Amino acid sequence: MLTAGITVRDVRRSFGRVDAVRGVDLDARAGAVTGLVGPNGAGKTTLLLMLASLLQPDAGSIRIAGIDPVADPAQARARLGWMPDALGAWGSLTVRETLEMTARLYDLDKPAAARRAGELLDQVGLTGLAGSQARVLSRGQKQRLGLARALVHDPSVLLLDEPASGLDPQARVDLRGLLRGFAAAGKTVLISSHILSELEEVVDDAVFLLDGATVSPDRVAAAAGRTRTWRVRVADLEAQAAVLPIATALGLDVARVPIDRRDVLIPFASEAEAAAGLRVLIDAGVAVAEFSAATGMLEHTFLDLGSERKEAS
Amino acid sequence: MSIARLWTVARLELLQRVRTVSWYVLLGIFAVLLIGVTALAFLAFGGIVSQADQRGAGIYSTIVIITLLLVVLVSPTLSGNSINGDRDAATLAPVQVTLARTSEILLGKVLAAWITGLAFAAVAAPFLVVATLAGGVDPVVVVVSLAVLIVEIGIIAAIGVGLSGLIARPLFSVAATYLVVSALVFGTLIAFGLGATAFSSEATTTYRPAMYNADGSPQCVDGADDCWNDPARMVCGAPQDSTYTVPRFDRVWWVLAANPFVILADATPAEYNGYGQPVDLFGQIASGVRQAQIPPDLATVYDECRPTMRDDVETPAEIRDRTVPSWFVGLGGQIVVAGLLVAGAWSRTRTPARALPPGTRIA
Repeated sequence: MLTAGITVRDVRRSFGRVDAVRGVDLDARAGAVTGLVGPNGAGKTTLLLMLASLLQPDAGSIRIAGIDPVADPAQARARLGWMPDALGAWGSLTVRETLEMTARLYDLDKPAAARRAGELLDQVGLTGLAGSQARVLSRGQKQRLGLARALVHDPSVLLLDEPASGLDPQARVDLRGLLRGFAAAGKTVLISSHILSELEEVVDDAVFLLDGATVSPDRVAAAAGRTRTWRVRVADLEAQAAVLPIATALGLDVARVPIDRRDVLIPFASEAEAAAGLRVLIDAGVAVAEFSAATGMLEHTFLDLGSERKEAS
Repeated sequence: MSIARLWTVARLELLQRVRTVSWYVLLGIFAVLLIGVTALAFLAFGGIVSQADQRGAGIYSTIVIITLLLVVLVSPTLSGNSINGDRDAATLAPVQVTLARTSEILLGKVLAAWITGLAFAAVAAPFLVVATLAGGVDPVVVVVSLAVLIVEIGIIAAIGVGLSGLIARPLFSVAATYLVVSALVFGTLIAFGLGATAFSSEATTTYRPAMYNADGSPQCVDGADDCWNDPARMVCGAPQDSTYTVPRFDRVWWVLAANPFVILADATPAEYNGYGQPVDLFGQIASGVRQAQIPPDLATVYDECRPTMRDDVETPAEIRDRTVPSWFVGLGGQIVVAGLLVAGAWSRTRTPARALPPGTRIA
């Protein structure tokens, strides 16, 4: 494990009587993108505020690139870039000024700040809007400005709170490319998002947060290992027609196989079983056109953990 | 403490202000008001002050006082939401997460609010020049009064920023700033008036009348009728005591020391005309405050049989010479209050935050 990433040990924080974060252990490696996944109110934003040196934990320890943000916020801030979920922009400043001002707050001198602003505008695709006031930006454009602002001082640790919300598909692809680029450059990226399919394509590791506490790796593994649903589509056949040959080939009761629009949904306990099932279908002469997991691994785990919690309560 | 970062914070604030139309409208209204005030002041002092070369002093002091009044009225709205307003707009945390320290953020905002207030003084500048051209304005008066004006604008700015950091909601912090400023401007006056009456004293006047004949001529001790101008020979009646209450302004005059207008007037060197009367508003306000320091005479005697030549009534110039100045106490007190408020805001705004004001979020 590299030490230069983010290390969180048993961090707690309450607001009055509300325990927002009740015990978080987290390791985000340098050179990797780590996803922070959890339902609304799980404490993701509170955790990120503590990591961003804005909020003091009641207990526990945090290290950002080896630095304790409570004991030495200035050093931690020099190394971390934080993109909040709600971006407050200085409405009447232009996009370029926003970045230049932020750079000045990070001790860049004027020419360096101007240069850096130019680079970032290019990087996040806002060069065309450099002279526009921040208040006229769309939500997606504001998100990109927020990302650029978090990158001004070339931080080694990036904390991104819902960076993809409001972005159009092209911007999401661009964001994914940027994040993979940061990871490849050896930076630590911690990203929280609700859009799990989106997260799935970019993260190396995932940390699950439920009710203010991280879910232990064992529980995650158990949840991930449970039965998942695969979508099967047969070439040139409606689902109603396809369900019979599929059920027959797999030895299932046709009346109990669900259908979703054009797809037949088949549960498999593991990826190995799914592969075996596919072989059976092909051997039986079913013209399989599509065969894919209905939910991504993250989403599956997330939903499974969520239902576990509902049963418990 | 980095000056570059502090100035960047101030610039952020100022840039946003200069790009709003309403700001220029406000300055325009201010200029229109000053045109009216200057015109009226020229008419008023043209009538009152006989020496043409002394009229400028009165006009000048009027404009400075009106400028201070308008800044006092406007400044709380400009500075009273600078911290919590940013927090509401989610623009505070992005600054806090940079290398800018809490002290730099706070002082940057005080500086920005100060400069904003000074913009009003800048609008007043041409009118002050016009007043100076009317003559009779002492350069020392200009320097001191403008210095006090500038410091007062800064104090109000700091009070607003401090309260905006201490109080979570912008609406309440603006209101609180208004209350503090009003306490200084009007509260001191009310406390002065009520206090003087509340701590009033019983005073006694002894009156010994002379006796008069039916035709109105004084009775003379030797029965003569020629003692008109000789009180020693008049027949005197029994002395009559009467009591009444006098307000004791001398017991509460120090309350006024905290008033920004009194500070301005008291700090400015007084200019007097040949009769010892102040030539400008500063001097008139100051002489009123200085007069209040003198205890009232609690036992007065009016004796028609022993008329004493009444002492020469003291002129304001003489009163000022034998009473004490108070502006530095008031100014010092205001600076301490503003400093404490900013220090309180600092401890509330510090990050990583330990306790958050109820009902707020960091970002």
